Amino acid sequence: MRGLWTTSVIVLLGLFVVALAVGPVAIPMHDLWSSEIVRAVRLPRAVLALLVGAALGMSGGALQGVLRNGLAEPYLLGVSGGAAVGAVVAAMLGLAGPATTPLAALIGAVAAVVLVLIVARVGGGRGADPRVLIMAGVVVGAFANAAIMVALASAPADTVRGAVWWMMGSVADANWPGIAWLASYVAVGGALLLLWAPEIDALALGDEAAAAIGVDVDRASRRIFLAAATVAAATVAAAGLVGFVGLVVPHIARSGGARASRAILGASALVGAALVLAADIAARTVRAPADLPLGAITALVGVPFFLSRLRRTGASP
Amino acid sequence: MIAVQDVVVRYAPGATPALDGVTLRAERGALTALVGPNGSGKSTLVRAMIGRVPVERGSIRIDEEDALALSRRAFARRVAVVTQRDEPAFPLLGREYIALGRYAHGGLFRTAQSDDPAVDKAAERAGVTAFLERRTDQLSGGEWQRLRIARALAQGGAALVLDEPTTFLDIGHEMALFELLADLARSGLAVLLVSHQLNLVARFASHVVLLHRGRVAAAGTPAAVMQGSVLESVYEWPLVVTHDPAVGAPMLVPLRR
Amino acid sequence: MRWLLLLAVTACSGSHQASPRDRAVDDFGDTVPVGLAARRIASLNPTTTELLFAMGDGGRLVGRTHWDNYPPEAAAVPDLGNGLRPNIEAVLAAHPDLVLLYASADNRSTALKLHELGVATLSVKVDHITDFAREARLLGRVLGDSAAAATVVDSVQRTLDRVRAATAPLPHPTVFWVVWESPLMAVGGGSFLDELITIAGGTNIYGSLSAPSPVVSREDVLSRHPDVIFASPAAAKEWTGRVLVPDTALIGHPSVRLGEAAVSLANLLHPGVLR
Repeated sequence: MRGLWTTSVIVLLGLFVVALAVGPVAIPMHDLWSSEIVRAVRLPRAVLALLVGAALGMSGGALQGVLRNGLAEPYLLGVSGGAAVGAVVAAMLGLAGPATTPLAALIGAVAAVVLVLIVARVGGGRGADPRVLIMAGVVVGAFANAAIMVALASAPADTVRGAVWWMMGSVADANWPGIAWLASYVAVGGALLLLWAPEIDALALGDEAAAAIGVDVDRASRRIFLAAATVAAATVAAAGLVGFVGLVVPHIARSGGARASRAILGASALVGAALVLAADIAARTVRAPADLPLGAITALVGVPFFLSRLRRTGASP
Repeated sequence: MIAVQDVVVRYAPGATPALDGVTLRAERGALTALVGPNGSGKSTLVRAMIGRVPVERGSIRIDEEDALALSRRAFARRVAVVTQRDEPAFPLLGREYIALGRYAHGGLFRTAQSDDPAVDKAAERAGVTAFLERRTDQLSGGEWQRLRIARALAQGGAALVLDEPTTFLDIGHEMALFELLADLARSGLAVLLVSHQLNLVARFASHVVLLHRGRVAAAGTPAAVMQGSVLESVYEWPLVVTHDPAVGAPMLVPLRR
Repeated sequence: MRWLLLLAVTACSGSHQASPRDRAVDDFGDTVPVGLAARRIASLNPTTTELLFAMGDGGRLVGRTHWDNYPPEAAAVPDLGNGLRPNIEAVLAAHPDLVLLYASADNRSTALKLHELGVATLSVKVDHITDFAREARLLGRVLGDSAAAATVVDSVQRTLDRVRAATAPLPHPTVFWVVWESPLMAVGGGSFLDELITIAGGTNIYGSLSAPSPVVSREDVLSRHPDVIFASPAAAKEWTGRVLVPDTALIGHPSVRLGEAAVSLANLLHPGVLR
């Protein structure tokens, strides 16, 4: 366990330096801190990548525990669909912009999450059953996708292009105000999730077992779910859809030895930050000067990794 | 110690009550068994205790305190429930699993270290000290059940409620579990056990409550409750109750139709 | 919306005691200092690259997009990648003092970032032929080379007028121009290609639709019985009747070769009408 922590921190620091040092403009190491390009272009981008990765990692770790499912991830629960709808609607109303699109995406994502909770409650029982929640999430997500297709079908070319680009995820538009805003969401959301880590551990045993231990199952599930989904929604607002991070990172944390939720959340934050930072470095160097979509890189890395995990563990992760 | 009074529970408005005015007591220092056919409401009572189904009428008191008015944490500190099923989605160490029982004792700064004494003590009482560093997904059925009881003991209450803890256990493990429960009862806990194992109940329990269609059909000592005629009508199966001299308890023998 | 921005911007610029003649406003509503002696220009869209060469200022270019291939001299200018969401670092590496961007929503953040770093930008959106003239004049003002800009614009305009005059008396066939096969997209009224059709002596069957490339159904196209169908060589196979293939190299975007494009189209529709 300690090994995982130290390795993650070292890898993260190393990646951070690489992110600042690498780019089309050659800047010698000793000039890094004083360079305008590093401070205005590479630094915000690296910081945003870190935040997005940490947030998605924690969100995934919390959700996999609360939903008792190693295949759960933040986007499963309507977050990505809702955020995309928000962004597309903003674009169609001519309101797309560096400040407005993230806000619209956040509103869309939160609305979708609330809708999922409502659908789950209508669909069955007390509205906190993981299977029903996941199904509701898939349904709301599918509906959102359909709505986006319809909206984009009649939209002018550059609205479509902008929306599609956004949906592929990118930290290229990093700016300090946006970063500050995301950081506050991640700090509050992350702190709450850490605070509720014992509940996540109990809920991971099952509803009845958790109730027997003294957890108010419905309330606890709902608020953890909302916190995790909101944190993920904030990342979508800031950087578009960066998939697979929330799915894959908790597994890496677990295979590194993290078991209790507090440890999983912390390790997932570190590993997630490292993963997205590495993906962003790849995104802007692999086919320079083209900037590949971040979400595509994380998917390309995430899918084979996940398949290898499935094979190794054989049964459920 | 656990006093259930006229409890009515319905799963859906207007449906037949799953519990229709059930009254029973489980005293400290005694092993009380709740028996009855499938669907008679045994598990429903357990669920009502942990707040998973609402109680329409009646009261449940723990040492004169209204259990239904307590917070979930407060209840968990007084009564530890071992449900029929619990399966960690992701494996834990035995020690970590037992420590989950300390949740009800709350506290922002609860760490693994501060839990250790309670965990160790509970593990000792349940006889699972050897499994503390083993993973939950690597334990056998019998070992897992004992670990669950350790978790319940770690909750620190004076009452223990178990819902069919011996399902899937072989004879040896079953007996060992009943011995453990009887020990715990003797040491002063109020143990309420839901079980299908009428013969083991007859040997180990000091008080038996027979449920039938949400109502108490009989309550008393094993000998008093295990009467052939009552059991036959409740279980709707021909059977014979004999007295087993080897163990000094009534023994139920189901007949073939 | 843009007017509000303009108002706000002019209000702010009051602190510099600058008169309106010193500033130009681009399609993002940003102000660009007029007469900026920009020596190092990164032109991130094909229209402005062609324009600069036509104005004789090709020597000032330090960067172009990957797709700028006209005139042939453009190949010697460093390739900076995409014009949409360009790689800012690559652009900065060329040390430009002026960056010309295509004014679509996806480039808004690029413009902001460049301003943050002290690089001036001029963003234009050229969808219609009138946009071309406006853009050329704006660029001319900013570079302090209005005369050259005016010459280019006038030359293009003269050619367009000539074509329009030549085709005016002729019967105008109805035209359906296939932009994309699946989904089936046509040239609509929002595109400069629609204007070219009219100038070249044709009538666009979808000229009434405001979108530049609306999606249409094959059935609808057939029900309108277009006299002529413009398509790419690959798409041409899908259609019967009078199917013609316009020279796409000329038609790509509204720029200095608009005149030649109009001539080429006119000759397709009305063979031999112009030399």
